[in-house]
Amino acid sequence: MRMQDFSRDRLTSVSPDLSVDIAGVRFPNPVMPASGAYEVDEIHDNFFSPSELGAVINKTIFLHPRPGNPPPRIWETPCGMLNAIGIPSDGAEVFIRDKLPALRRLGPPVVVSIAGETMEEWIELAERIEATGMADLLELNLSCPNLSEGIPWSTEEKTLERVVSAVVSRVKLPVIAKLSPVVTDIADMARTAERAGAAALSMINTYKGMAIDIKKKRPALGNITGGLSGPAIRPLAVWAVYSAHEVVKIPIIGMGGIDGPAAAIEFLLAGASAVAVGMYNFIDPFTMKRTIEGIRTYLAEEGYSSVREIIGLAHVK
Amino acid sequence: MAVPVYRKATLVSRKESPRGYVHLVIREEQIARTAGPGQFVMVRGWHTGDPILPRPFDIVLADPLKGVFRLCIKVEGKGTRLLSTLKKGSSLYVTGPLGKSITEFDSAGTALLVRGAGAAAVVFLAETLSKLKKPVYTVLSASTKSRLVCRALLEEFSNDVFIATDDGTEGYHGNGTDILDQLIREGKVDTVYTCGSHRFARHVKALDLAGKVKGYLFLEGNMGCGMGDCHGCAVKKDGQDGYFLVCMDGPVFRSRSVVVEP
Ligand SMILES: Cc1cc2nc3c(=O)[nH]c(=O)nc-3n(C[C@H](O)[C@H](O)[C@H](O)COP(=O)(O)OP(=O)(O)OC[C@H]3O[C@@H](n4cnc5c(N)ncnc54)[C@H](O)[C@@H]3O)c2cc1C
Ligand SMILES: Cc1cc2nc3c(=O)[nH]c(=O)nc-3n(C[C@H](O)[C@H](O)[C@H](O)COP(=O)(O)O)c2cc1C
Ligand code: FES
Repeated sequence: MRMQDFSRDRLTSVSPDLSVDIAGVRFPNPVMPASGAYEVDEIHDNFFSPSELGAVINKTIFLHPRPGNPPPRIWETPCGMLNAIGIPSDGAEVFIRDKLPALRRLGPPVVVSIAGETMEEWIELAERIEATGMADLLELNLSCPNLSEGIPWSTEEKTLERVVSAVVSRVKLPVIAKLSPVVTDIADMARTAERAGAAALSMINTYKGMAIDIKKKRPALGNITGGLSGPAIRPLAVWAVYSAHEVVKIPIIGMGGIDGPAAAIEFLLAGASAVAVGMYNFIDPFTMKRTIEGIRTYLAEEGYSSVREIIGLAHVK
Repeated sequence: MAVPVYRKATLVSRKESPRGYVHLVIREEQIARTAGPGQFVMVRGWHTGDPILPRPFDIVLADPLKGVFRLCIKVEGKGTRLLSTLKKGSSLYVTGPLGKSITEFDSAGTALLVRGAGAAAVVFLAETLSKLKKPVYTVLSASTKSRLVCRALLEEFSNDVFIATDDGTEGYHGNGTDILDQLIREGKVDTVYTCGSHRFARHVKALDLAGKVKGYLFLEGNMGCGMGDCHGCAVKKDGQDGYFLVCMDGPVFRSRSVVVEP
């Protein structure tokens, strides 16, 4: 028998450590669903168990029930899709009673995604979620419009700072600010969120766009505009994460067009500590499982013992 | 409820009939074994980014013994065009069976009022009812004789198939709803399922609201996932606020419970 290359063997014989730390919460691996793009139920449990995920998250909830937008709500585009779902929500009460306990029972850390239409709503919702004791992290979906100004909370630094610091001052739960990329410079927004007390960032939400139905000669979506997601936006999202990583110290959850391990690894190398899969769950319900396994294989093949070793590695120093 | 699977499946055969419609027979044993009438599958026959999303199609028939099921696809846009050109032996990705299966078969007589690709949706139901020895009357409508879809299958499972064509090239020259109304007057049917025409849907809903029949609609809607993730397939509830999801709450709905688009 030939001599083995022991340096390689040593590294591949132990499975690489996939765990990451997001704002003091240990994720067993760095892969989670993006809010609004994955349901925890019997159907999905039959594909693979959500208990294998790095974290679980709900579709953004509002304080009060809302119906969502009139159809058509989605429209396919090259390498992506537009959505204008309008975040239908059962409201906090039903969520806390029916959905949150089911998320809690799964095992992985629970991220609760919330949004408010007014400052008072943000605070009340954050406090009510914290009071359940069932959430590990709070994610603020700052892309939804602020009722009084009609533009998303994350569009202006001042508004972003106001809402993040208000929530942070009221709850002990670590707060993730989920940023909209529809801004002049997202690195500025990342810095603002960090300064306001966010313990982590989710980047990015969808890009605003539209499509026209040429048969009907009308906007394709009932809401006229929608959010673009999928591989079409991946280079934009990778850049957003890379540029934010240059200026903040808090961990980043990267997302935008992740369809498997290679795309996820791009985000990790760009500076994300964890990644989220959105649209691709619709196309291949095993995407998150494939991604977890593929990251493990990549680390082993490249000789890393922990995923933490590759976070931000692409930054040219 | 049968729990859906996501699988790589094989195309066993492909046949065009009539022109512009392809019948695909797909081998996937679990779907073939567990599918019920009213259910659908999400199908992807590409790795490209354009098209990228899978497409929904009703399960026309499932053969649990052979482990195959059949789809009938109208060639519409780029996804269906790609599916229509797949060669025998090709691989496809399928998720299913999805949606709620029809489980109530207590009607004394059922009418199936269908047009175009809508005919594909009711074949499985017709087969199930015929196995239960329940009377089935099908009204098959098309613009013209050469565009009648799933005719042979519907003839096999129905007590009677009434043809209606817009141009009178075969059967009744006029509206399929006239034949339905006649069947109701004769006391032959107390339950109607319809698919493939907004006009039919409105008519059936009106009959349902008038208490003349129990009306059911097979609904379509732009679907991203087919399994409750994207909330894309919303249809407005009638009489209450909010929306149903076609993929989870349907695709078959009691006609009085949903708003029918004009
Ligand atoms: C539950 C259900 C069952 C269906 N069963 C059948 C069937 O058995 N046979 C059949 O021929 N057709 C059926 N359809 C319609 C079929 O899914 C569409 O014709 C098909 O998705 C069009 O795809 P395309 O790429 O060719 O068209 P494109 O116009 O290129 O599609 C673009 C996008 O619009 C969506 N879309 C376009 N038309 C429709 C439509 N009518 N309904 C839903 N989404 C649409 C597509 O899914 C895709 O996301 C069904 C639809 C639903 C929701
Ligand atoms: C159908 C759909 C619904 C979404 N709903 C939400 C939501 O409720 N809250 C939220 O923060 N983001 C929502 N998003 C955005 C995703 O979480 C994610 O940020 C974005 O889609 C980019 O990732 P992707 O390209 O992997 O989809 C939604 C995206 C899609 C496609
Ligand atoms: S198609 Fe995605 S929720 Fe119905």
